Amino acid sequence: MNIFIYDSFLNQKKYDRLLARLETRITDLGLNGRISRLSPTRNVQETINNELKRGASAIIAVGNNKTINQTINSLAGSQVPLGIIPIGQDNNDIAASLGIESMEAACDVLAARLLAKLDLGLANQTYFLSNVRVNNQGTVIDMNKNYTIETAEKGLIYIFNLIGQQVKPPPQVKFIPDDGFLELVINTYGNKKFFAKQEHQSIFKIKKITIHNLKHQLILDGSISLNAPAEITVIKKHLNIIVGKNRNF
Amino acid sequence: MFNKQNQGETFNQFETVIGPSVKVKGDFNGQGNIIVEGVVEGSLKTIGSLEVGKTAKITADLEAKEAKIGGHITGNLKVKGFLEITATAKIFGDIETAGLSIERGAIFNGKCVMAAATEEIKK
Repeated sequence: MNIFIYDSFLNQKKYDRLLARLETRITDLGLNGRISRLSPTRNVQETINNELKRGASAIIAVGNNKTINQTINSLAGSQVPLGIIPIGQDNNDIAASLGIESMEAACDVLAARLLAKLDLGLANQTYFLSNVRVNNQGTVIDMNKNYTIETAEKGLIYIFNLIGQQVKPPPQVKFIPDDGFLELVINTYGNKKFFAKQEHQSIFKIKKITIHNLKHQLILDGSISLNAPAEITVIKKHLNIIVGKNRNF
Repeated sequence: MFNKQNQGETFNQFETVIGPSVKVKGDFNGQGNIIVEGVVEGSLKTIGSLEVGKTAKITADLEAKEAKIGGHITGNLKVKGFLEITATAKIFGDIETAGLSIERGAIFNGKCVMAAATEEIKK
């Protein structure tokens, strides 16, 4: 049975009509299942663990990047696939990277049930599917104690498993979310010309990295905060996921 | 990769790009092709190809399968295949390579050993 995990923000009245439309579409496609609504008092992990024990055939995260992150942290390592239904455009770039552009498209993707086995990033004890972001000011990057990386200009540091729209890498660099590697991307902006800032980009393929920063927190999947220092690694092919044809890998 | 047809062209795919605002300190070991446009101090080795841009400042010993150099290098350079040194390059160190081209305008101060030549002498 498909289990639809509705994020708590969908309990707002303004989503009622949208969710009714979604449920009609799901019924039309024969994807019916049980709906589980999250709330501030209802634990995601407990909800998903219970559904897995009851023999769920797929866990469908209905919401945004935060919903996806919370779901993968309960589903990692399981054979049960994750489906995604994005609600709205804000903070939903993970779905777009997987070829799921809208709520309507997501229903068709679920019906087609095209499966991929993807890597998951792990920052301390928290999994991430897409990326970790941190301000580069005050950040020290330690690469397995073999070498260190310093940046001279202001910018952002990303560690990608699944690339989103945050950066535009050169066409010669491929980001593959099932190769057992993460990509460290450092985007800096030249200080000299204020009105014509020049963007500089550095890319490293990594398996393990430690990030130190006393001032800034790390942001996982655009929504979850984590204090540094953080050891970041990759777990190869640790999540079954239903993807669309237009995915970016 | 550096056969007659594509000598002087850029490589197809890269694993690592060290941009102009980044400094790498320590021993860097790569598995794929590398572009360096920033600062490297220590050593840099790869089993793939190496492209050093004109903004790069490297104080390190370098090892690669093939290389195209356009930046400033202080250190020894060991290239298994073909080494292309472009007009903007400044190299202060020794070179060991199997094939070499140096464009007019490049600066090279050091010894050069060609692997093919040493093999012939041994014979």
